[in-house]
Amino acid sequence: MDIPILKIENFLVVTIQAEMSDDEILKLQKDILSRIKEVSASGLIIDITALDVVDSFMGRTLSNIANTADLLGAKTVVVGIRPAVALTLVELGIRIKWNLNTALNLEKGIDILKRRIEM
Amino acid sequence: MSRDLNKELSLLFEGHADQLKEQWISEMKKLGFLEQVSDDEIEKQFTNLYNIAVSTFKTGKYGDAEKYARDIAQKAVLQHMAVDQIIGGMLKLRDVYQCFIFEKFKDDKRLCDLISACATVINKIVSIKALAFVEESEKEILQQQKEAMLALSIPVLQIRDEMLILPLIGIIDSARSQQIVEELLNKIAEYQASIIIIDLTGVPIIDSLVANHIIKTVQAAKMLGAETIITGISPPNAQTLVNIGVDISTLITKNNLRTGLKLADEMLQK
Amino acid sequence: MSETEKRISIKSSADIITARGVGREMAKQLGFNIVDQTKITTAISELTRNIVTYTGKGKVIIKKIHSDVDKKDGMAIICTDKGPGIESIELVLKAGYSTSNSLGLGLSGAKMLMDDFDIKSKPGEGTRVTIKKWLR
Repeated sequence: MDIPILKIENFLVVTIQAEMSDDEILKLQKDILSRIKEVSASGLIIDITALDVVDSFMGRTLSNIANTADLLGAKTVVVGIRPAVALTLVELGIRIKWNLNTALNLEKGIDILKRRIEM
Repeated sequence: MSRDLNKELSLLFEGHADQLKEQWISEMKKLGFLEQVSDDEIEKQFTNLYNIAVSTFKTGKYGDAEKYARDIAQKAVLQHMAVDQIIGGMLKLRDVYQCFIFEKFKDDKRLCDLISACATVINKIVSIKALAFVEESEKEILQQQKEAMLALSIPVLQIRDEMLILPLIGIIDSARSQQIVEELLNKIAEYQASIIIIDLTGVPIIDSLVANHIIKTVQAAKMLGAETIITGISPPNAQTLVNIGVDISTLITKNNLRTGLKLADEMLQK
Repeated sequence: MSETEKRISIKSSADIITARGVGREMAKQLGFNIVDQTKITTAISELTRNIVTYTGKGKVIIKKIHSDVDKKDGMAIICTDKGPGIESIELVLKAGYSTSNSLGLGLSGAKMLMDDFDIKSKPGEGTRVTIKKWLR
């Protein structure tokens, strides 16, 4: 399964549509990072509305993507975390890192990116 | 006297168990009570009921009947099975027994005594069952009321676009705080709120458990994309939080709801 | 095998997704709310990933349970493997808790998400983790 990476203005938008195996997640990580470099994106939005489970592996991978994207010059916003998923991640002991922003939906995600990049 | 009659009846019902049980089941079927129940299940349930009736006649003790009544009441309420299926069943069994007694003893002078002894025992079993049903459904209603109260006591108010206030009032225990967290997070998603104010003015005691839940709420809300402002922590409560080592620096706090609202408005403007 | 017990053998990361699906379905059927469903599913994910990562092969049993003492129903997940085992269980549980970057988050995470947690391990023989969640 190839997940499309869309470019909107200077941002990349990735919508995860179904549960992914570890290999698929790692491939997506690689694809996203090379695409950021390729188009010199300044922002990245990952929409995980469709995910009803985010375990520590997925959480860590998202965090890794955000960290690496930051080094490549792109800010990351994760949007659409479900309430039950957020609560589970908190119980798991996964904290939000400063470089990983979150927003309720795509529109707000883009707002956040625009503000952060202006700063 | 009635003990002897009951013993005699028990031997009689035991001796003719197959015949009477079959008659009983077929009459129940005729009445349409047993639709949607498999034959195996009918056989199992009715044998059980039948044996309880016989043993009650034999011993004069209603312990088995009570235990059975409670078990079946729990199951019946859970499955919303018709109460008349079970109560009706016992009444029908009484009819079957009494017809049988009548046939066998119609020329005996003890006929009236036997019939009345039979009715006394079965009526008592029926009332035990009815009582168990009433108790069980009351329990269920109580549970529902408790849940409704709990939901009512978590008022999440939307006061601006994208802004929610959760004024907490009263003692917060573990079950309630868990529910509060879940309710608030659902509301954040539902209203697409970006700022939450949790007002603790009405919470007399904040212990480490409540504090932990608040911190978890703030973190989870942040993951959804909402910032949380905590207002109205009383000085003694603030002292407790510091003493038990809660890191308040990770929280945005304001001393009362009014200043909290002002800050929230400023944050929304940005 | 009864409806209330499912076995899944865990060999690759695709099996993690299968186990999660089975777990979520059973949690839903038993009447767990959406938050508990998510916690149970996530705990299954953590434990089965441990199997894939550390031992490569094992199995998970997901089943309905009942407590006569507390008169309540629940769900148990039992993960077993014949891997190297764990030398110090305390250390694994603690290490995972403090450093979110270590893979040890799996065990401690599963522990935090569930009501009951039990682990038996012998170095060289394998590990068996049992977790339970009760309906509230």
